[in-house]
Amino acid sequence: MRSLYLTFHVYLAFVRKSFQKRMQYRVANLAGLATNFFFLLVHIFVYTAFYAASTEPQPLTLNEIITYFVLCQVSFMLMPFWGARSEVTQAIKDGSVALQLTKPVDFHTYWFADECGRACYFLFMRGLPTFFISILFFHVTFPQHPTILMAFALSMTLAIFMSTAITITIFSSAFWTLDTSGVSGMSGSVIMLFSGMLVPIALWPEWLAHIAEWLPFAGLIDVPFSIYLGKITGVGVWTAISKQMMWTLVFIGLGRFLLNRGFSRIVIQGG
Amino acid sequence: MHHLSLYLHFVKLRIRSQMAYRLSFVFDLFSQASISVIDFFMIALLFNRFKELAGWSLWEVGFLYGMIGVCFAIAEMIGRGFDVFQNSVMRGDFDTILIRPLGTFFQVFSQDFLLRRVGRFSQAFIILLIANSQLTISWSFVKVGYLLVSLVSGTCFFIGLFVIGATSCFWTVQSIEIINIFTHGGTFMGGYPFSIYRRWFRHFFTFIVPLACVNYFPSLFLLEKVAFSGVSSFGVYLAPFAGFLFLGITILFWRWGVLHYQSTGH
Repeated sequence: MRSLYLTFHVYLAFVRKSFQKRMQYRVANLAGLATNFFFLLVHIFVYTAFYAASTEPQPLTLNEIITYFVLCQVSFMLMPFWGARSEVTQAIKDGSVALQLTKPVDFHTYWFADECGRACYFLFMRGLPTFFISILFFHVTFPQHPTILMAFALSMTLAIFMSTAITITIFSSAFWTLDTSGVSGMSGSVIMLFSGMLVPIALWPEWLAHIAEWLPFAGLIDVPFSIYLGKITGVGVWTAISKQMMWTLVFIGLGRFLLNRGFSRIVIQGG
Repeated sequence: MHHLSLYLHFVKLRIRSQMAYRLSFVFDLFSQASISVIDFFMIALLFNRFKELAGWSLWEVGFLYGMIGVCFAIAEMIGRGFDVFQNSVMRGDFDTILIRPLGTFFQVFSQDFLLRRVGRFSQAFIILLIANSQLTISWSFVKVGYLLVSLVSGTCFFIGLFVIGATSCFWTVQSIEIINIFTHGGTFMGGYPFSIYRRWFRHFFTFIVPLACVNYFPSLFLLEKVAFSGVSSFGVYLAPFAGFLFLGITILFWRWGVLHYQSTGH
Protein backbone atom coordinates (compact mmCIF):
# COMPACT_ATOMS: atom_id res chain seq x y z
CA MET A 1 0.00 0.00 0.00
CA ARG A 2 2.76 2.35 0.94
CA SER A 3 4.63 1.67 -2.28
CA LEU A 4 1.47 2.42 -4.21
CA TYR A 5 1.19 5.71 -2.39
CA LEU A 6 4.83 6.53 -3.18
CA THR A 7 4.39 5.71 -6.86
CA PHE A 8 1.35 7.96 -7.00
CA HIS A 9 3.33 10.67 -5.29
CA VAL A 10 6.07 10.53 -7.91
CA TYR A 11 3.68 10.94 -10.80
CA LEU A 12 1.80 13.68 -9.01
CA ALA A 13 5.10 15.52 -8.81
CA PHE A 14 5.39 15.22 -12.60
CA VAL A 15 1.92 16.72 -12.97
CA ARG A 16 2.89 19.61 -10.72
CA LYS A 17 6.19 20.26 -12.50
CA SER A 18 4.50 20.27 -15.86
CA PHE A 19 1.99 22.79 -14.54
CA GLN A 20 4.70 25.04 -13.10
CA LYS A 21 6.75 24.92 -16.28
CA ARG A 22 3.90 26.48 -18.19
CA MET A 23 3.31 29.15 -15.59
CA GLN A 24 6.40 30.89 -17.02
CA TYR A 25 4.63 32.03 -20.15
CA ARG A 26 2.14 34.55 -18.81
CA VAL A 27 2.12 36.96 -21.72
CA ALA A 28 1.73 34.13 -24.20
CA ASN A 29 -1.26 32.99 -22.18
CA LEU A 30 -2.88 36.42 -22.44
CA ALA A 31 -2.40 36.33 -26.20
CA GLY A 32 -3.97 32.88 -26.20
CA LEU A 33 -6.94 34.16 -24.24
CA ALA A 34 -7.44 36.91 -26.78
CA THR A 35 -7.26 34.35 -29.59
CA ASN A 36 -9.84 32.11 -27.89
CA PHE A 37 -12.09 35.10 -27.56
CA PHE A 38 -11.71 36.16 -31.14
CA PHE A 39 -12.71 32.75 -32.46
CA LEU A 40 -15.62 32.64 -30.05
CA LEU A 41 -16.83 36.02 -31.25
CA VAL A 42 -16.66 35.02 -34.92
CA HIS A 43 -18.50 31.76 -34.21
CA ILE A 44 -21.22 33.67 -32.44
CA PHE A 45 -21.55 36.17 -35.31
CA VAL A 46 -21.80 33.34 -37.83
CA TYR A 47 -24.43 31.35 -35.95
CA THR A 48 -26.45 34.44 -35.10
CA ALA A 49 -26.63 35.22 -38.82
CA PHE A 50 -27.54 31.64 -39.72
CA TYR A 51 -30.26 31.51 -37.08
CA ALA A 52 -31.62 34.91 -38.09
CA ALA A 53 -32.40 33.61 -41.59
CA SER A 54 -33.79 30.26 -40.47
CA THR A 55 -37.51 29.83 -39.93
CA GLU A 56 -37.60 26.15 -39.01
CA PRO A 57 -37.04 25.11 -35.40
CA GLN A 58 -33.51 23.82 -34.78
CA PRO A 59 -32.35 21.05 -32.43
CA LEU A 60 -30.40 23.60 -30.39
CA THR A 61 -31.48 27.15 -29.61
CA LEU A 62 -29.13 30.01 -30.38
CA ASN A 63 -28.35 30.43 -26.68
CA GLU A 64 -27.49 26.76 -26.43
CA ILE A 65 -25.21 27.07 -29.46
CA ILE A 66 -23.47 30.04 -27.87
CA THR A 67 -22.98 28.10 -24.64
CA TYR A 68 -21.66 25.14 -26.63
CA PHE A 69 -19.02 27.28 -28.34
CA VAL A 70 -18.06 29.00 -25.10
CA LEU A 71 -17.38 25.53 -23.68
CA CYS A 72 -15.47 24.62 -26.86
CA GLN A 73 -13.11 27.54 -26.37
CA VAL A 74 -12.79 26.73 -22.67
CA SER A 75 -11.57 23.23 -23.41
CA PHE A 76 -9.84 23.90 -26.74
CA MET A 77 -6.32 23.75 -25.33
CA LEU A 78 -7.07 20.55 -23.44
CA MET A 79 -7.86 18.69 -26.62
CA PRO A 80 -5.50 16.64 -28.80
CA PHE A 81 -5.93 18.86 -31.85
CA TRP A 82 -2.78 20.86 -32.01
CA GLY A 83 -0.38 18.53 -30.28
CA ALA A 84 3.28 19.17 -30.98
CA ARG A 85 3.51 21.13 -27.75
CA SER A 86 4.77 18.21 -25.78
CA GLU A 87 8.45 18.33 -24.94
CA VAL A 88 8.42 14.54 -25.00
CA THR A 89 8.23 14.38 -28.80
CA GLN A 90 11.12 16.79 -28.97
CA ALA A 91 12.99 14.44 -26.66
CA ILE A 92 12.36 11.55 -29.04
CA LYS A 93 13.54 13.63 -31.96
CA ASP A 94 16.76 14.91 -30.42
CA GLY A 95 17.57 11.69 -28.60
CA SER A 96 17.39 12.96 -25.03
CA VAL A 97 14.63 10.43 -24.50
CA ALA A 98 17.47 8.00 -23.76
CA LEU A 99 17.86 9.75 -20.42
CA GLN A 100 14.21 9.20 -19.62
CA LEU A 101 14.66 5.50 -20.22
CA THR A 102 17.28 5.27 -17.52
CA LYS A 103 14.87 6.65 -14.91
CA PRO A 104 12.95 4.17 -12.77
CA VAL A 105 9.54 5.35 -13.89
CA ASP A 106 7.04 3.95 -16.34
CA PHE A 107 7.41 6.06 -19.47
CA HIS A 108 3.78 6.02 -20.52
CA THR A 109 2.60 7.04 -17.06
CA TYR A 110 5.25 9.74 -16.91
CA TRP A 111 4.10 11.13 -20.24
CA PHE A 112 0.48 10.87 -19.11
CA ALA A 113 1.27 12.83 -15.95
CA ASP A 114 3.11 15.45 -17.96
CA GLU A 115 0.14 15.92 -20.29
CA CYS A 116 -2.28 16.04 -17.36
CA GLY A 117 -0.25 18.85 -15.84
CA ARG A 118 -0.53 20.69 -19.12
CA ALA A 119 -4.28 20.11 -19.21
CA CYS A 120 -4.65 21.41 -15.63
CA TYR A 121 -2.68 24.48 -16.52
CA PHE A 122 -4.85 25.28 -19.52
CA LEU A 123 -8.02 24.50 -17.61
CA PHE A 124 -7.23 26.93 -14.81
CA MET A 125 -5.28 29.62 -16.62
CA ARG A 126 -7.05 29.64 -19.97
CA GLY A 127 -10.34 27.75 -19.77
CA LEU A 128 -11.90 29.10 -16.61
CA PRO A 129 -11.00 32.76 -17.34
CA THR A 130 -12.53 32.34 -20.81
CA PHE A 131 -15.68 30.97 -19.20
CA PHE A 132 -16.04 33.73 -16.64
CA ILE A 133 -15.43 36.53 -19.12
CA SER A 134 -17.90 34.93 -21.53
CA ILE A 135 -20.62 34.97 -18.89
CA LEU A 136 -20.29 38.75 -18.80
CA PHE A 137 -20.71 39.24 -22.53
CA PHE A 138 -22.91 36.44 -23.86
CA HIS A 139 -26.05 34.55 -22.92
CA VAL A 140 -24.47 31.48 -21.41
CA THR A 141 -26.95 28.95 -20.04
CA PHE A 142 -26.29 26.97 -16.87
CA PRO A 143 -27.18 23.38 -16.00
CA GLN A 144 -30.68 23.07 -14.56
CA HIS A 145 -29.78 20.71 -11.76
CA PRO A 146 -26.71 20.01 -9.58
CA THR A 147 -26.68 16.36 -10.67
CA ILE A 148 -26.24 17.52 -14.26
CA LEU A 149 -23.26 19.55 -13.14
CA MET A 150 -21.78 16.51 -11.41
CA ALA A 151 -22.31 14.30 -14.44
CA PHE A 152 -20.73 17.00 -16.60
CA ALA A 153 -17.70 17.24 -14.29
CA LEU A 154 -17.21 13.48 -14.49
CA SER A 155 -17.65 13.39 -18.25
CA MET A 156 -15.30 16.35 -18.74
CA THR A 157 -12.61 14.71 -16.60
CA LEU A 158 -12.89 11.59 -18.72
CA ALA A 159 -12.68 13.73 -21.84
CA ILE A 160 -9.39 15.16 -20.59
CA PHE A 161 -8.02 11.68 -19.82
CA MET A 162 -9.09 10.46 -23.22
CA SER A 163 -7.51 13.49 -24.86
CA THR A 164 -4.26 12.73 -23.06
CA ALA A 165 -4.34 9.08 -24.06
CA ILE A 166 -5.01 10.01 -27.69
CA THR A 167 -2.23 12.60 -27.71
CA ILE A 168 0.30 10.02 -26.53
CA THR A 169 -0.91 7.49 -29.07
CA ILE A 170 -0.51 9.99 -31.89
CA PHE A 171 2.86 11.29 -30.82
CA SER A 172 4.29 7.82 -30.37
CA SER A 173 4.59 7.98 -34.14
CA ALA A 174 7.64 10.16 -33.53
CA PHE A 175 9.58 6.88 -33.21
CA TRP A 176 8.85 6.15 -36.85
CA THR A 177 8.65 9.53 -38.57
CA LEU A 178 10.72 11.78 -36.23
CA ASP A 179 8.84 14.84 -37.42
CA THR A 180 5.32 14.45 -36.07
CA SER A 181 3.66 17.54 -37.47
CA GLY A 182 2.21 15.63 -40.42
CA VAL A 183 0.70 12.73 -38.51
CA SER A 184 -0.59 14.95 -35.74
CA GLY A 185 -2.04 17.44 -38.19
CA MET A 186 -3.87 14.81 -40.19
CA SER A 187 -5.26 12.89 -37.24
CA GLY A 188 -5.95 16.19 -35.47
CA SER A 189 -8.24 17.35 -38.22
CA VAL A 190 -10.22 14.10 -38.26
CA ILE A 191 -10.50 14.14 -34.46
CA MET A 192 -11.56 17.77 -34.53
CA LEU A 193 -14.28 17.02 -37.06
CA PHE A 194 -15.78 14.04 -35.24
CA SER A 195 -15.46 15.58 -31.79
CA GLY A 196 -18.07 18.16 -32.70
CA MET A 197 -15.67 21.02 -32.15
CA LEU A 198 -16.44 22.74 -35.45
CA VAL A 199 -20.19 22.17 -35.64
CA PRO A 200 -22.25 20.58 -32.83
CA ILE A 201 -23.19 17.04 -33.85
CA ALA A 202 -26.86 17.83 -33.19
CA LEU A 203 -26.79 20.01 -36.32
CA TRP A 204 -25.24 17.34 -38.56
CA PRO A 205 -27.19 15.34 -41.11
CA GLU A 206 -28.24 11.98 -39.73
CA TRP A 207 -25.89 9.74 -41.71
CA LEU A 208 -22.83 11.65 -40.56
CA ALA A 209 -23.98 11.90 -36.95
CA HIS A 210 -24.36 8.14 -37.09
CA ILE A 211 -20.70 7.72 -38.05
CA ALA A 212 -19.68 10.05 -35.23
CA GLU A 213 -21.61 7.91 -32.80
CA TRP A 214 -19.44 4.89 -33.59
CA LEU A 215 -16.21 6.82 -33.22
CA PRO A 216 -14.64 7.69 -29.88
CA PHE A 217 -14.05 11.37 -30.57
CA ALA A 218 -17.47 12.77 -29.69
CA GLY A 219 -16.48 11.86 -26.13
CA LEU A 220 -14.03 14.76 -26.17
CA ILE A 221 -16.41 17.61 -26.89
CA ASP A 222 -19.93 16.76 -27.90
CA VAL A 223 -20.74 14.26 -25.14
CA PRO A 224 -19.71 16.37 -22.13
CA PHE A 225 -21.30 19.50 -23.56
CA SER A 226 -24.53 17.73 -24.45
CA ILE A 227 -24.67 16.54 -20.85
CA TYR A 228 -24.10 20.12 -19.71
CA LEU A 229 -26.92 21.38 -21.94
CA GLY A 230 -29.24 18.66 -20.70
CA LYS A 231 -29.52 17.03 -24.14
CA ILE A 232 -28.41 13.67 -22.81
CA THR A 233 -30.46 12.59 -19.79
CA GLY A 234 -31.23 9.64 -17.53
CA VAL A 235 -29.67 6.33 -18.48
CA GLY A 236 -28.19 7.97 -21.57
CA VAL A 237 -25.74 9.83 -19.36
CA TRP A 238 -24.38 6.61 -17.94
CA THR A 239 -24.14 4.93 -21.32
CA ALA A 240 -22.26 7.95 -22.65
CA ILE A 241 -19.90 8.04 -19.69
CA SER A 242 -19.14 4.33 -19.83
CA LYS A 243 -18.43 4.68 -23.52
CA GLN A 244 -15.96 7.45 -22.74
CA MET A 245 -14.36 5.24 -20.11
CA MET A 246 -14.05 2.32 -22.48
CA TRP A 247 -12.44 4.38 -25.24
CA THR A 248 -10.03 5.98 -22.78
CA LEU A 249 -8.84 2.52 -21.73
CA VAL A 250 -8.53 1.47 -25.37
CA PHE A 251 -6.33 4.45 -26.16
CA ILE A 252 -4.20 3.93 -23.06
CA GLY A 253 -3.64 0.34 -24.16
CA LEU A 254 -2.84 1.38 -27.71
CA GLY A 255 -0.43 4.06 -26.54
CA ARG A 256 1.41 1.63 -24.28
CA PHE A 257 1.66 -0.89 -27.09
CA LEU A 258 3.05 1.67 -29.55
CA LEU A 259 5.55 3.01 -27.03
CA ASN A 260 6.82 -0.50 -26.33
CA ARG A 261 7.22 -1.17 -30.03
CA GLY A 262 8.89 2.19 -30.45
CA PHE A 263 11.41 1.61 -27.71
CA SER A 264 12.29 -1.80 -29.05
CA ARG A 265 13.40 -0.29 -32.36
CA ILE A 266 14.73 3.02 -31.11
CA VAL A 267 17.89 4.50 -32.55
CA ILE A 268 19.06 7.41 -30.47
CA GLN A 269 19.79 10.41 -32.63
CA GLY A 270 23.05 11.81 -31.40
CA GLY A 271 22.35 11.13 -27.75
CA MET B 1 17.83 40.34 -61.54
CA HIS B 2 20.64 39.33 -59.24
CA HIS B 3 18.21 39.23 -56.34
CA LEU B 4 15.78 37.06 -58.25
CA SER B 5 18.29 34.43 -59.26
CA LEU B 6 19.66 34.42 -55.74
CA TYR B 7 16.15 33.98 -54.38
CA LEU B 8 15.44 31.07 -56.69
CA HIS B 9 18.68 29.48 -55.65
CA PHE B 10 17.71 29.80 -51.97
CA VAL B 11 14.29 28.33 -52.65
CA LYS B 12 15.90 25.33 -54.31
CA LEU B 13 18.04 24.76 -51.21
CA ARG B 14 15.08 25.05 -48.83
CA ILE B 15 13.05 22.58 -50.82
CA ARG B 16 15.87 20.08 -50.86
CA SER B 17 16.26 20.27 -47.09
CA GLN B 18 12.52 19.85 -46.52
CA MET B 19 12.49 16.72 -48.63
CA ALA B 20 14.93 15.10 -46.22
CA TYR B 21 12.11 13.80 -44.00
CA ARG B 22 10.16 12.45 -46.94
CA LEU B 23 7.46 10.42 -45.17
CA SER B 24 6.74 13.27 -42.83
CA PHE B 25 6.60 15.66 -45.77
CA VAL B 26 3.93 13.60 -47.51
CA PHE B 27 1.91 13.30 -44.31
CA ASP B 28 2.18 17.01 -43.76
CA LEU B 29 1.05 17.78 -47.28
CA PHE B 30 -2.05 15.65 -46.79
CA SER B 31 -2.69 16.97 -43.32
CA GLN B 32 -2.63 20.52 -44.62
CA ALA B 33 -5.13 19.59 -47.30
CA SER B 34 -7.31 17.51 -45.00
CA ILE B 35 -7.58 20.23 -42.38
CA SER B 36 -8.88 22.66 -44.91
CA VAL B 37 -11.13 20.15 -46.65
CA ILE B 38 -12.81 19.45 -43.32
CA ASP B 39 -12.99 23.16 -42.70
CA PHE B 40 -15.02 23.75 -45.82
CA PHE B 41 -16.99 20.57 -45.39
CA MET B 42 -18.29 21.99 -42.12
CA ILE B 43 -19.40 25.19 -43.82
CA ALA B 44 -21.23 23.03 -46.37
CA LEU B 45 -22.92 21.15 -43.50
CA LEU B 46 -24.22 24.38 -42.07
CA PHE B 47 -25.58 25.42 -45.46
CA ASN B 48 -27.22 22.05 -45.78
CA ARG B 49 -29.22 22.89 -42.68
CA PHE B 50 -29.67 26.66 -42.95
CA LYS B 51 -29.72 27.15 -46.77
CA GLU B 52 -28.29 30.69 -46.81
CA LEU B 53 -26.20 33.13 -44.82
CA ALA B 54 -27.16 36.80 -44.97
CA GLY B 55 -28.14 36.44 -48.63
CA TRP B 56 -25.07 34.41 -49.65
CA SER B 57 -25.36 30.92 -51.06
CA LEU B 58 -22.95 28.07 -50.28
CA TRP B 59 -20.80 28.54 -53.38
CA GLU B 60 -20.69 32.28 -53.06
CA VAL B 61 -19.25 31.69 -49.61
CA GLY B 62 -17.02 29.07 -51.23
CA PHE B 63 -15.68 31.77 -53.51
CA LEU B 64 -14.86 33.96 -50.49
CA TYR B 65 -13.28 31.00 -48.77
CA GLY B 66 -11.21 29.97 -51.78
CA MET B 67 -9.88 33.46 -52.38
CA ILE B 68 -8.65 34.04 -48.85
CA GLY B 69 -7.34 30.48 -48.63
CA VAL B 70 -5.22 30.91 -51.76
CA CYS B 71 -3.78 34.22 -50.54
CA PHE B 72 -2.96 32.88 -47.10
CA ALA B 73 -1.41 29.66 -48.39
CA ILE B 74 0.92 31.52 -50.77
CA ALA B 75 1.81 34.04 -48.07
CA GLU B 76 2.67 31.24 -45.65
CA MET B 77 4.71 29.51 -48.30
CA ILE B 78 6.88 32.45 -49.33
CA GLY B 79 6.64 34.64 -46.21
CA ARG B 80 7.72 31.88 -43.85
CA GLY B 81 11.01 33.64 -43.15
CA PHE B 82 9.16 36.36 -41.23
CA ASP B 83 6.89 33.85 -39.56
CA VAL B 84 9.83 32.08 -37.89
CA PHE B 85 11.96 35.20 -37.52
CA GLN B 86 11.84 35.15 -33.72
CA ASN B 87 14.31 32.26 -33.74
CA SER B 88 16.88 34.44 -35.47
CA VAL B 89 16.51 37.15 -32.85
CA MET B 90 16.50 34.71 -29.95
CA ARG B 91 19.66 32.98 -31.14
CA GLY B 92 21.32 36.22 -32.20
CA ASP B 93 21.52 35.02 -35.80
CA PHE B 94 20.27 38.35 -37.05
CA ASP B 95 23.82 39.67 -36.49
CA THR B 96 24.96 37.55 -39.40
CA ILE B 97 22.28 39.00 -41.61
CA LEU B 98 23.35 42.54 -40.76
CA ILE B 99 26.92 42.06 -41.92
CA ARG B 100 26.02 40.52 -45.29
CA PRO B 101 26.01 42.82 -48.32
CA LEU B 102 22.26 42.50 -48.99
CA GLY B 103 19.14 44.20 -47.65
CA THR B 104 17.80 42.77 -44.39
CA PHE B 105 14.27 42.52 -45.72
CA PHE B 106 15.35 40.49 -48.72
CA GLN B 107 17.51 38.18 -46.64
CA VAL B 108 14.82 37.37 -44.09
CA PHE B 109 12.30 36.97 -46.89
CA SER B 110 14.48 34.44 -48.66
CA GLN B 111 15.40 32.61 -45.49
CA ASP B 112 12.65 30.06 -45.71
CA PHE B 113 10.22 28.58 -48.18
CA LEU B 114 7.53 26.26 -46.91
CA LEU B 115 6.83 23.90 -49.77
CA ARG B 116 4.29 21.85 -47.84
CA ARG B 117 1.77 24.67 -48.02
CA VAL B 118 1.14 23.47 -51.55
CA GLY B 119 -1.39 21.14 -49.93
CA ARG B 120 -3.39 23.95 -48.49
CA PHE B 121 -3.04 26.07 -51.57
CA SER B 122 -4.39 23.40 -53.88
CA GLN B 123 -7.38 22.75 -51.63
CA ALA B 124 -8.33 26.43 -51.56
CA PHE B 125 -7.72 26.74 -55.29
CA ILE B 126 -9.94 23.74 -56.05
CA ILE B 127 -12.75 25.21 -53.92
CA LEU B 128 -12.36 28.44 -55.87
CA LEU B 129 -12.61 26.55 -59.16
CA ILE B 130 -15.67 24.57 -58.06
CA ALA B 131 -17.33 27.75 -56.80
CA ASN B 132 -16.63 29.35 -60.15
CA SER B 133 -18.17 26.45 -62.05
CA GLN B 134 -21.29 26.52 -59.84
CA LEU B 135 -21.85 30.27 -60.00
CA THR B 136 -21.93 31.27 -63.68
CA ILE B 137 -19.81 34.36 -63.24
CA SER B 138 -19.66 36.40 -66.43
CA TRP B 139 -15.90 36.71 -66.76
CA SER B 140 -14.52 39.67 -68.64
CA PHE B 141 -11.01 40.90 -69.23
CA VAL B 142 -11.43 43.47 -66.45
CA LYS B 143 -12.71 40.90 -64.00
CA VAL B 144 -9.85 38.46 -64.60
CA GLY B 145 -7.35 41.28 -64.16
CA TYR B 146 -9.17 42.44 -61.03
CA LEU B 147 -9.08 38.91 -59.58
CA LEU B 148 -5.36 38.45 -60.24
CA VAL B 149 -4.48 41.82 -58.71
CA SER B 150 -6.67 41.01 -55.70
CA LEU B 151 -4.97 37.67 -55.15
CA VAL B 152 -1.49 39.19 -55.29
CA SER B 153 -2.60 42.05 -53.07
CA GLY B 154 -4.18 39.66 -50.57
CA THR B 155 -0.97 37.68 -50.42
CA CYS B 156 0.92 40.92 -49.76
CA PHE B 157 -1.52 41.70 -46.96
CA PHE B 158 -0.77 38.44 -45.15
CA ILE B 159 2.97 38.81 -45.68
CA GLY B 160 2.56 42.28 -44.18
CA LEU B 161 1.06 40.69 -41.07
CA PHE B 162 4.02 38.33 -40.82
CA VAL B 163 6.36 41.32 -41.17
CA ILE B 164 4.62 43.08 -38.28
CA GLY B 165 4.98 39.97 -36.15
CA ALA B 166 8.65 39.69 -37.07
CA THR B 167 9.38 43.37 -36.51
CA SER B 168 7.90 43.26 -33.04
CA CYS B 169 10.66 40.77 -32.18
CA PHE B 170 13.15 43.64 -32.20
CA TRP B 171 11.52 44.84 -28.99
CA THR B 172 9.96 41.73 -27.48
CA VAL B 173 12.44 39.07 -28.73
CA GLN B 174 9.61 36.54 -28.95
CA SER B 175 7.04 37.06 -31.63
CA ILE B 176 3.81 38.62 -30.40
CA GLU B 177 1.37 35.76 -30.64
CA ILE B 178 -1.51 38.16 -30.96
CA ILE B 179 -0.68 38.33 -34.65
CA ASN B 180 -2.19 34.84 -34.97
CA ILE B 181 -5.59 36.40 -34.47
CA PHE B 182 -5.15 38.29 -37.71
CA THR B 183 -3.49 35.52 -39.72
CA HIS B 184 -5.29 32.31 -38.72
CA GLY B 185 -8.27 34.09 -37.20
CA GLY B 186 -8.40 36.37 -40.21
CA THR B 187 -8.61 33.50 -42.69
CA PHE B 188 -11.35 31.97 -40.58
CA MET B 189 -13.48 35.10 -40.35
CA GLY B 190 -12.71 36.06 -43.95
CA GLY B 191 -14.40 32.85 -45.05
CA TYR B 192 -17.78 34.40 -44.26
CA PRO B 193 -19.41 37.51 -45.74
CA PHE B 194 -18.51 40.60 -43.77
CA SER B 195 -22.09 41.75 -43.53
CA ILE B 196 -22.72 39.29 -40.69
CA TYR B 197 -20.29 41.07 -38.39
CA ARG B 198 -21.02 43.97 -36.10
CA ARG B 199 -20.23 47.49 -37.31
CA TRP B 200 -17.17 48.13 -35.13
CA PHE B 201 -15.78 44.75 -36.05
CA ARG B 202 -16.28 45.39 -39.79
CA HIS B 203 -14.74 48.82 -39.61
CA PHE B 204 -11.70 47.57 -37.75
CA PHE B 205 -11.11 44.88 -40.36
CA THR B 206 -11.56 47.31 -43.24
CA PHE B 207 -9.73 50.47 -42.28
CA ILE B 208 -7.13 49.39 -39.72
CA VAL B 209 -6.39 45.82 -40.72
CA PRO B 210 -7.75 45.70 -44.29
CA LEU B 211 -8.82 42.07 -44.24
CA ALA B 212 -12.11 42.84 -45.99
CA CYS B 213 -10.12 44.07 -48.99
CA VAL B 214 -8.52 40.65 -49.48
CA ASN B 215 -11.64 38.80 -50.54
CA TYR B 216 -14.91 40.36 -49.42
CA PHE B 217 -14.88 43.54 -51.53
CA PRO B 218 -13.32 41.75 -54.52
CA SER B 219 -15.98 39.03 -54.29
CA LEU B 220 -18.72 41.66 -54.20
CA PHE B 221 -17.37 43.02 -57.47
CA LEU B 222 -16.72 39.68 -59.16
CA LEU B 223 -20.04 38.14 -58.12
CA GLU B 224 -21.88 41.39 -58.90
CA LYS B 225 -23.21 41.80 -55.39
CA VAL B 226 -22.05 45.39 -54.88
CA ALA B 227 -25.50 46.96 -55.13
CA PHE B 228 -26.98 44.26 -52.92
CA SER B 229 -24.38 44.82 -50.18
CA GLY B 230 -24.68 48.59 -49.93
CA VAL B 231 -20.91 49.07 -50.10
CA SER B 232 -19.80 52.06 -52.21
CA SER B 233 -18.58 50.92 -55.61
CA PHE B 234 -15.69 53.38 -55.44
CA GLY B 235 -14.37 51.54 -52.37
CA VAL B 236 -14.70 48.25 -54.19
CA TYR B 237 -12.48 49.53 -57.03
CA LEU B 238 -9.85 50.69 -54.56
CA ALA B 239 -9.93 47.50 -52.45
CA PRO B 240 -7.36 45.47 -54.43
CA PHE B 241 -4.68 48.03 -53.69
CA ALA B 242 -5.06 47.93 -49.92
CA GLY B 243 -2.80 44.89 -49.61
CA PHE B 244 0.08 46.60 -51.44
CA LEU B 245 -0.30 49.70 -49.30
CA PHE B 246 -0.39 47.58 -46.16
CA LEU B 247 2.78 45.70 -47.09
CA GLY B 248 4.47 49.01 -47.97
CA ILE B 249 3.70 50.44 -44.54
CA THR B 250 4.88 47.29 -42.78
CA ILE B 251 8.19 47.44 -44.72
CA LEU B 252 8.71 50.96 -43.40
CA PHE B 253 7.93 49.64 -39.92
CA TRP B 254 10.49 46.86 -40.49
CA ARG B 255 13.20 49.34 -41.47
CA TRP B 256 12.50 51.38 -38.39
CA GLY B 257 12.54 48.23 -36.28
CA VAL B 258 15.93 47.13 -37.61
CA LEU B 259 17.40 50.37 -36.27
CA HIS B 260 16.24 49.33 -32.80
CA TYR B 261 17.78 45.89 -32.96
CA GLN B 262 19.87 44.93 -29.97
CA SER B 263 21.70 41.70 -30.31
CA THR B 264 21.07 38.98 -27.76
CA GLY B 265 24.71 38.04 -28.24
CA HIS B 266 26.11 35.32 -30.38
